[in-house]
Amino acid sequence: MIAQLAERPVGRAYATVRDRLGRTPYWSRVIVVLVAIGAAVISWGDDYVTAVAVSVATYAMLGLGLNIVVGYAGLLDLGYAAFFAIGAYTSALLMTQAHWNFFTTLPFAVLFTGTAGAILGYPTLRLRSDYLAIVTLGFGEMTRITFNNWEFAGGPNGVLGIPWPNFFGYEFNTQGDFFIVGLFLLAIAMIFAEHLDHSRLGRGWVAIKDDEFAAESVGVPSLRLKLFAYVMGGMWGGLAGAFFATRIGAIDPTSFTFQLSVLILIVIVLGGTGSLPGVLLGALVVVALPEVLRELSDVRLLVFAILLVGMMLLRPQGLWPRIRRKPKPFYGLEEEEAEDTAARILREHQVQMEARDRRHAAAGHKVPSVGETLLQVEGVVQQFGGLRAVDNVSFNVRRGEIFSIIGPNGGGKTTLFNCITGVQRPKRGQVLFDGRPVVGLRPHVIVARGIGRTFQGIRLFKNMAVFENVMVGLYPRHRTMTWQAMLHTPGERKDELRTLQESRRWLSFVGLESVAGRLATELSYADQRRVEIARALAAHPHLVLFDEPAAGMNPTEKLELVAIIRKIRDLGITVILIDHDMSLVMRVSDRIAVLDHGILIALGKPAEIQNNPAVIEAYLGREDDDMGTLTAQEA
Amino acid sequence: MGVFLQYTVIGLTVGSFYALVALGYTIVYGIIRLINFAQGDLSMVGAFLGWTLLVSFGFEHLPIYLALVIAFVVPMIGTAVVNLGILQFAYKPLLRRSLLAILITALGMSLLLQNAAELIWGAAIEAYPPNLLPLSGFFVGPVHVTYVQIALVTASLLLMGGLVAFVQGTTMGTAMRALAVDHDAARLMGIDVDAVIRIAFVLGAMLAAASGVMLGIYYVQIHFTMGFLLGLRAFTAAVLGGIGNIPGAMVGGLLIGLLEAYTTGYLSGTWEDVVVFGVLITVLIVKPTGLFGERVAERM
Repeated sequence: MIAQLAERPVGRAYATVRDRLGRTPYWSRVIVVLVAIGAAVISWGDDYVTAVAVSVATYAMLGLGLNIVVGYAGLLDLGYAAFFAIGAYTSALLMTQAHWNFFTTLPFAVLFTGTAGAILGYPTLRLRSDYLAIVTLGFGEMTRITFNNWEFAGGPNGVLGIPWPNFFGYEFNTQGDFFIVGLFLLAIAMIFAEHLDHSRLGRGWVAIKDDEFAAESVGVPSLRLKLFAYVMGGMWGGLAGAFFATRIGAIDPTSFTFQLSVLILIVIVLGGTGSLPGVLLGALVVVALPEVLRELSDVRLLVFAILLVGMMLLRPQGLWPRIRRKPKPFYGLEEEEAEDTAARILREHQVQMEARDRRHAAAGHKVPSVGETLLQVEGVVQQFGGLRAVDNVSFNVRRGEIFSIIGPNGGGKTTLFNCITGVQRPKRGQVLFDGRPVVGLRPHVIVARGIGRTFQGIRLFKNMAVFENVMVGLYPRHRTMTWQAMLHTPGERKDELRTLQESRRWLSFVGLESVAGRLATELSYADQRRVEIARALAAHPHLVLFDEPAAGMNPTEKLELVAIIRKIRDLGITVILIDHDMSLVMRVSDRIAVLDHGILIALGKPAEIQNNPAVIEAYLGREDDDMGTLTAQEA
Repeated sequence: MGVFLQYTVIGLTVGSFYALVALGYTIVYGIIRLINFAQGDLSMVGAFLGWTLLVSFGFEHLPIYLALVIAFVVPMIGTAVVNLGILQFAYKPLLRRSLLAILITALGMSLLLQNAAELIWGAAIEAYPPNLLPLSGFFVGPVHVTYVQIALVTASLLLMGGLVAFVQGTTMGTAMRALAVDHDAARLMGIDVDAVIRIAFVLGAMLAAASGVMLGIYYVQIHFTMGFLLGLRAFTAAVLGGIGNIPGAMVGGLLIGLLEAYTTGYLSGTWEDVVVFGVLITVLIVKPTGLFGERVAERM
């Protein structure tokens, strides 16, 4: 719809304005909006309205944190109130027991809740989402009950007499003052959240949420990113908690119940998970709606529940959903001619390769030159129950060649790919890449070593735009740290720009630059395969594995594919290809291996394979069994 | 030792209530991968329906067996109707959509049931007739067992047995198991998927209602918020046993009941939930699919 809109003059003007706005730094927009809201509320609202607004700000901070965990990383958290509680208690105890200033307690509240996030996250990373729901719920309840039973923290009475925030002698003690502090903290929370959203971390999270397996296989360290999500989510909760403590003045365990966790979840789902303005809107609805409904007194929560359910039925994507389509994803990047792009890719790739070879040699490993062995598969065995999917397969792939693996269905080709890329661990045997064993490494580590891949069934990140898919593929090449992403430092900005630029080049390499802003699922089948290829190439691999890239393509598209594969080889990337299209395989391959029932039955140049009796037998059957019975029946 | 056995009796009694509600969670989850958060509140609705019949309508004065049959059967039917309504209006349109939206809807339904109940029956604590069943009991060695405990545990076991017989022995039960494995394949085999989902919701609600009435009889006091804690414990039990797994839910329920009784007895009632969740988390870390669960594909 956006794309259609962009074709009309008004739509185009709107898109331009939006792109221009998009180029002003996010922090400036946040500050303008929040200052405007703050001025409006303080000048027109009475104490009651301001107090409600302070609550909205608190819930918005909580929503921003939970949004990282649930909205980005897709980890269902039903115990988020625990972080709110830990933040509130940390700040309250530091202020009342140690007589610290509110603002100096903030970093500690955030630090404590971040640590709590790591403690919760670390053991639970491998759990499925439903189980995660109950574990987080349990964590929330345990935290609350622990505070309830903890004498030092006041037990059920909680912490009383928490002082107001004091800033160089100025005491914040009216609702308007709290609102100012709240907006200040909210601004920090929003800006950091937005920076994370538009960093490699944010893209990695959304990729994991979409398809964790595919994310891991293109180089995203999924477990580490999930842990980060917990830590970050916890930190935002801590900020909100500290603010809540100083504003209320007295906290007790009843403020941090399961119901609160649910309310925060409602905030983000109502607003649209993964959407920052959605969080603000959601917080406004969740806090203000029950206030508006106050006149209904008795049935207030009932009406709220009905509205919530109705909302989910009518608009399950939320009030202000995040739109990941982008009409002009590369707006503002300098234009490049097509030949220029190809040359730049080649140059960049050569630089990468040389740097890699240098590092490799410096570490004392032997660097294979063109024509020497790059990948060594030695006696690999993979077994599922009684079935030997791959049976003692050995072969070498030389640097710079196009090596194809063919064979009848069920021959063990994809299983072999999975063993090489770390998706599966072979029962026996070894895989050496660049002379170093890779068996037992996690898929993202193998990607970082220089092996890229595509999948037999397309596994793009469905909810991301095409160019973002390719940017996820660039994940292993980022060198920026998380704190740099949060602060959006100049170094990180440069890195991001480079990533965007490279994603564009790779898309133009496979001929898809014009559809870069669409959602991945909106493309045709053949185009989706090409996006997968671009995503696999983005990390500048040494070796790529293509699993049936031609499946579902028409003859023209197949020709284009052949051209792309040749272009990839010309870059100096070694290619291993699985496909069933014999004419394509025969045309592009330097050497071919044939797998039948998990056994390597032939290996050689295309012409040799074509005339190999064992290969003919595997494909067509032996003349005297199938064919024999068939003729017998016919007779 | 005597004290330990005494706690065991209490734990098994309460645990059998949890097991019933946990079965509701597990059946519905097994078929449509939805955590029906309203499950505990359905129990509460059942408890209040039973109370209305016994106290407001005065059925407690009927012969005891007749009174009990009415107090169980009518709430079970009534709650089943409520759950079908929830399925039809709230969950059905979302079944193929995002897991998160449907989860929020389930939480919303829980909130809705609680507030509707408050509106209908009031916010006060109501009491079941205290001497509906004989209060006395007998001693087995040092352990005191009441007739109420015997009756309720027996009833729970009968209901669980009935459920297992239904799932294992009938065509509909076979269809349920097929659906739990693969929706599309089941549909292609000619199974009326919607009908099976409805049956799952009816069964879940009936078990929940029965446990609600039992809680009323056992603890006497009922309140419109009672479903929350019950639902939480039962959900924990279902996950502990391996959600989607029927024997798992039963064992999980009993284990949670025992844990609760021992913690209250030996430590303090205030640490109940910490111990229960602590054990749950430990089990999940060691065996991420729960005690009896198998790996199932993720859908999000």
